[in-house]
Amino acid sequence: MKARIWNHIIFKLALMVIAASSVVFGFVLLYSYTFSKEIILKDAERRARYLALSVARRIEQEFRSVQKAPLGITAFLETPDSDLKKLDNLILRTVRDHPEVFGMAVAFEENTFPGTLLHCSYYYRKDGQIVHDVQTPETEDYHREDWYHIPKILNRPCWIEPYYDDTAGGVLMTSYSVPFYFVNPDGSPGALRGIVVADVSLKWLSELVASVTTVRDSQFFIISDTGRFVTHRRPEFIMRETVFSLAENFDDAKMREFGRAMLREGSGLAVVNGSPMFPDGAILAHAQIPSPKWSLAAAFSKDALLEDIHGLHRETLVLAIVGILMMLAPSYLVARSIAKPLRKMAEAARKIKQGDLDIDLSDVKVRDEVGELAESLTDMSRGLKERDFIRDTFGRYLTKEVVSSILESKDGLKLGGEQREISVMMSDLRGFTALTSNMAPEDVIKFLNRYLGSMIEILIEYRGTIDEIIGDGILAFFGAPQDLDDHPARAVACALRMQNAMEHINALNEADGLPHLEMGVAINTGAVVVGNIGSEKRSKYGAVGAQVNFTGRMESFTTGGQVLVSQSTHDKLRDILDIKTELQVEMKGVVGKINLYQIVGIRGTHEVRLSDKCYKFKDLDKPLGVCFYGMDSKIIDEKMRQGEITQLSPTSAVVRTTDSIGQWEDLRMTLCDPVYEGFGDMYGKVVSIDKTNDYSLAMIRFTSVAPQIYKVFREALAAENNS
Amino acid sequence: MKQTVSVVILVIGLLSVAVAHEGPLDEVTLIPQWIPQAQFAGYMVALEKGFYREAGIDLTLLHGGPSRAPLSHLATGKATFATDWLTNGIRQRAIGQPIVELAQIIQKSALILVARKDGGILKPQDFDGKKVGLWEGHFYLQPMLFFRKFGVNVQVIPNYTSVGLFLKGALDAISVMYYNEYHTLIQNGLNHDELSTFVLSDYGLNFPEDAIFTLESTYKNNPDLCKRFVDASIRGWVYAFNHQNEALNIVMKHVDDANTPSNRSHQKWMLAKMKELIEGDSSGSKIGRLNREEYMRVAEAMLEYRMISEIPPFDQFYRGMQ
Repeated sequence: MKARIWNHIIFKLALMVIAASSVVFGFVLLYSYTFSKEIILKDAERRARYLALSVARRIEQEFRSVQKAPLGITAFLETPDSDLKKLDNLILRTVRDHPEVFGMAVAFEENTFPGTLLHCSYYYRKDGQIVHDVQTPETEDYHREDWYHIPKILNRPCWIEPYYDDTAGGVLMTSYSVPFYFVNPDGSPGALRGIVVADVSLKWLSELVASVTTVRDSQFFIISDTGRFVTHRRPEFIMRETVFSLAENFDDAKMREFGRAMLREGSGLAVVNGSPMFPDGAILAHAQIPSPKWSLAAAFSKDALLEDIHGLHRETLVLAIVGILMMLAPSYLVARSIAKPLRKMAEAARKIKQGDLDIDLSDVKVRDEVGELAESLTDMSRGLKERDFIRDTFGRYLTKEVVSSILESKDGLKLGGEQREISVMMSDLRGFTALTSNMAPEDVIKFLNRYLGSMIEILIEYRGTIDEIIGDGILAFFGAPQDLDDHPARAVACALRMQNAMEHINALNEADGLPHLEMGVAINTGAVVVGNIGSEKRSKYGAVGAQVNFTGRMESFTTGGQVLVSQSTHDKLRDILDIKTELQVEMKGVVGKINLYQIVGIRGTHEVRLSDKCYKFKDLDKPLGVCFYGMDSKIIDEKMRQGEITQLSPTSAVVRTTDSIGQWEDLRMTLCDPVYEGFGDMYGKVVSIDKTNDYSLAMIRFTSVAPQIYKVFREALAAENNS
Repeated sequence: MKQTVSVVILVIGLLSVAVAHEGPLDEVTLIPQWIPQAQFAGYMVALEKGFYREAGIDLTLLHGGPSRAPLSHLATGKATFATDWLTNGIRQRAIGQPIVELAQIIQKSALILVARKDGGILKPQDFDGKKVGLWEGHFYLQPMLFFRKFGVNVQVIPNYTSVGLFLKGALDAISVMYYNEYHTLIQNGLNHDELSTFVLSDYGLNFPEDAIFTLESTYKNNPDLCKRFVDASIRGWVYAFNHQNEALNIVMKHVDDANTPSNRSHQKWMLAKMKELIEGDSSGSKIGRLNREEYMRVAEAMLEYRMISEIPPFDQFYRGMQ
């Protein structure tokens, strides 16, 4: 009985501890993760919103200050009769006074600057100096440029889409263009006269955005009012990609929507849970820069935001695993403290099963339930020892009922001797000992077991206690150890039933070619000593006393088929017994004649009748010669006498002889005719004698008849019947 | 503020290809009519893949742009070949410029009018009284014919290189190239379904666009060179259509080189549209050809609109494949 590892209690307990604590830790971790994630993301949303708004406001201030630069110039140009010769100086001064401005120009409509078709005066910074450049139609047709054309058509100042300026060495620039007008005589603005433009380098913008990147993997970007990137962490996107071209490139509809919101709404927030552009998810906040209508976005990668709690929970997870593993140690100890004694007890129980009741559980010292179990187990083995002793004592011959009733009663365990009135029964097969000498051993056993099996069954039925079985002889008694008030009646009824059973047994024996046998039973009632007889090693519950011996002697007077009861038994059942004959016999060691009664039936509770075996005698036409020998104590007397069977029944014969013959004499007989040589013996008891002068007629009751002879008898009887 | 595009001379793939043509290479220069973009993918690819060298041509590909009129470059000798619209070619020929057309590359007009739906322009009649931004010169022709066809009076505002005026709401509609500025509007955040589009070729105004031109003298002195140049260019176009990703890589090199504010997804859109326009309704069988009927239809419309005072004879104007 080797248990597999998963059937060990240690394994099961460990598994359970791991499973249960994993569930608990798992739940706690999950809860903590979800909760802290939510907090961090909410906080990030707030921060993103705030950052976007505050940086946008900061940039807006710069744009506003640039917007102020052209005001002086337009005011000058819109003043009637202003001296245009002073214009260049004014532009130069304005550029010098506005360090945030890269350069400024004043460009005129066709034929509105005295003396030229087109005129544009431009001052800009170069190598720390402010240099001057004048554009004419020969150098560049500025009318087609956005910075001139768009405010002209719009009729209002506006910011121009950024561009890379070659003059400034490829720097990203944007321009603020302000149209100025002729002034009508009444002071109202007239036709467009030209455009004042202030150029701004956007280098500071990238630097500002770079400086506010405070969170890992956060990014800021600014798009112009066309969606084009003005700043971005990836320089290759600037000016070339728009937020929409990237969305198209990544096939990211959410990003396109976000871009549209950036251009259309003052500020807003988008939480992206995985999109082609932000596969790890992102929090995006945007805010407009009002003057140029550009928009700034702050994007926080969720992965970066959650990195800390991911790290924390990774560590917590490791700690939890270590904790769970550490819990294995105590659970191992507990499991072992249970499993080890249990294994010992299982071993002990196995020993008990195999019949070894000497178990030792003294080293199970725990005082818990396990200790209790060990104690119980020890008690049980002790109890079983006593039980075994009882079973050994009563043998196999008690009914289960009796055994259990004895085992259950505490007194049953105390089996000291006691004087008790019981009914003793003794039976044996007449002539069996002599007969078996000629039988094959296996036939003897078969014969005996068939007979004894049948008898024991009946005895148990009547609650007889079998004291002893010696060969074919049975010594049994009724009324001990169990008290039975009706023990004499039970004994008699049992004996009658046993006799009746013989008929069936003989039928079976005959079919097997075994001898025909007759049984005699004697019953006596009296006070005897009952108790355990023997030593520790081997003992039995038995009865001893004169009344037992008396029963034995009574039994020797029985012939086949007879049930004899003693005077004392008879006296107790006087009214219900059917008596066939009353015999008077003499016994060794007993003074005077003794009365014995042959019983054929009992009435009352245990009503039994002997089946009718009153076979009629047939006169034989040709008497069969018999040689017979006397038997004393079952030792065959060698002195041969002769006679002939004149009358025959299946159980008895009348022998006419001139030789001496005595009543109650036991005889061994053979058929004298040489024809029957080797046919075997027959045994019988002389039950009555009619003496004439010439011969005696002895009635012999057979106790056993060899099968071949029995055959001869049956043929003889059959022939007589037919005649 | 000076959006000058510097001329960068590209000499690409000098060593990389086998020379199929015997003898010394003919040195020629091509000026496309606009900045480097997929509109000129065929020439860029032919150059990169060595198709010109195989044809015995050592090509210098110039950058076009708003301040560089391609046909003037022929007259001044700065370029051997130039691309421009058919209508501009006819106009220049009609005023006496000694130019000839060698091949009609774009068969189908991509000029469209686009308006914001929320501005109220949903059908041609809605243009009446609206501000429409149009490119100058020969770009006027189709839109004005369109407006006349539907009897609407529009307020024409000249529009130049950008869509800024339209985006800032100063215009109700503008003329755009479907392959270029229309997609720019999409990349500026306008959705297709927010825009009304009027494809002029759908209104009987399908005027073929990009064509290859040279001086009549160049053609007369070396018709073989002209043929080789056109064949290698068309070979470049066919290769570009069959290897769009590779072609796109080549185009993006030129875009990067010119520092053009453009991006790959935009060029991808443009190249895909080029295929439709160049292959035309004939699905490719007519690539490079101009027929007399089409020529006459365009020229007569120009005459009627007084863009020209007489129609140059077709046989003198067109010297390409028949």
